Amino acid sequence: MSAEQYFTALHAMAEAEMARLNALDAALGDGDHGTTLLRGLTRAKGAEDGARAKAFMRASGGASGTLFGLVLHEIEQHLEAGAPLAEGLARAEARICDLGQVKPGDKSMVDALSPAVAALQSGDLPAAVAAAEQGRDATVEMTARRGRAQYVEAGGKGHIDPGAVSLTMMLALLAETEGAA
Amino acid sequence: MKKLFNSAETMVDDMIDGYVSACPQVTRGTLDPRVVIRRQGAKNPDEKVTLLIGNGAGHEPIAMGFVGRGLLDANVVGDVFAAPSADLILDGIREVTGQAGSILLISQHSGDVINGRAATMLAEEEGLNVRPLLMYDDISAAPPERRHDRRGAPGTMFVYKILGAAAEEGLGQDALMRLGEAVRDRTVTLAAAVSPGISPLSGQPMFSLPDDEIFLGMGVHGEPGVGRVKTGPVRDLVAEMVERLLADRPIAEGGRAAVIINGMGGTTQMELWTVWRETEAELRRRGITPLSPMVGSYVTTQEMGGVSISLLEPDDEMLRLWCAPQDSPAFPHIHSEDDQS
Repeated sequence: MSAEQYFTALHAMAEAEMARLNALDAALGDGDHGTTLLRGLTRAKGAEDGARAKAFMRASGGASGTLFGLVLHEIEQHLEAGAPLAEGLARAEARICDLGQVKPGDKSMVDALSPAVAALQSGDLPAAVAAAEQGRDATVEMTARRGRAQYVEAGGKGHIDPGAVSLTMMLALLAETEGAA
Repeated sequence: MKKLFNSAETMVDDMIDGYVSACPQVTRGTLDPRVVIRRQGAKNPDEKVTLLIGNGAGHEPIAMGFVGRGLLDANVVGDVFAAPSADLILDGIREVTGQAGSILLISQHSGDVINGRAATMLAEEEGLNVRPLLMYDDISAAPPERRHDRRGAPGTMFVYKILGAAAEEGLGQDALMRLGEAVRDRTVTLAAAVSPGISPLSGQPMFSLPDDEIFLGMGVHGEPGVGRVKTGPVRDLVAEMVERLLADRPIAEGGRAAVIINGMGGTTQMELWTVWRETEAELRRRGITPLSPMVGSYVTTQEMGGVSISLLEPDDEMLRLWCAPQDSPAFPHIHSEDDQS
């Protein structure tokens, strides 16, 4: 499975999920998570080898474009150059926590990414996806400490974090296509 | 609100076209048209540490106006009021970084910090030697014990200018980082806003304020400040601002202060010279010698009305570098004490 195929499939998935991601984001932020994700992936899909995650960052924009771009950068390196995925995603997690000043439990994409990284150290990609799904679902009960959701009523408790949802999508698609290859 | 642009889609690139065409000191980078670099006076980046900064458009002349000999090597221009993305900043780093290394100056606002630091991480992965230097000076954003949480404000121009001069003289990357941190830690800024800027994208005012009130401590985008004061003779406003600045970071009697009086875009030079007059008097009244002032509109937010006062208590070396010659399109000549006598 090539990076090109992955980004094409991820773009199609974002297109299908855009409205749902926007609706989830509307409960916690400004309701554009699906739209910005799709805008970034539209550009990434047409970019050259090695430049897809960076094209995503440029087109998606803002802090979230950069943070998701760091995850896509590692997936791109893995698919294109065979870089070890566990190592790459661990690096992305560390960078996101550092740059975004978040940690697990803050109701963010990290709540899906962090358990997936841990599962990947000792297991395979399907196990990592299962861990991400669990982490994603656990964000419903969390109270946001960083990002937009910290300003909404009760820190967004009762709502799933849209970043954790889209992050899980990225990993699930990777597992699906790697399994198929 | 009437504005003289072609379209929202092209306004930033149209402006850069005009700027690089008008100013022989600068040109566009080869990797990305949003990177402005020196055309004249560029030195070998294997020998000179290069300095660059990214910022949203709409605040001109900062920072692309400060690219030139003795100042910055590159500026990365984002969209209107939006920090440039990490990959765009990465192109700027690639454009100017050689064996001597580079320093990415980051004015502390969340988008600039996240994208700037992400860019330095990606650059390091490519083997480039770049270090981020966070700059912050707005005393209204956090108390002294949390200085590191403050926003970047016009006092960051002290850091640009002093590091720019030192880099031109051949100072190394580590020493420049230490010098930049030292300048930052001696700099304080406080702003007062009297009227909003109009967003060139929406055509709408960026905040609202009653006719007889002034916001103290406004950020460059109209973020709420520390409080409101009533309008009156400007000497009263300046007295309060200087009082707060010196309460935050005292300068002893007999000390010196380099000063920046920065207009936000809609305040006239007539008003700014008046603010300088009152600032000078306030400092002298406290036994502090004000020197080498920079008085004009350098960090703007469209036609926002208001002014900020920045103070740096320099050591001799900082003061020498502050007054050193430079050749950028928009930075003024700073007179040394010798010029003035």
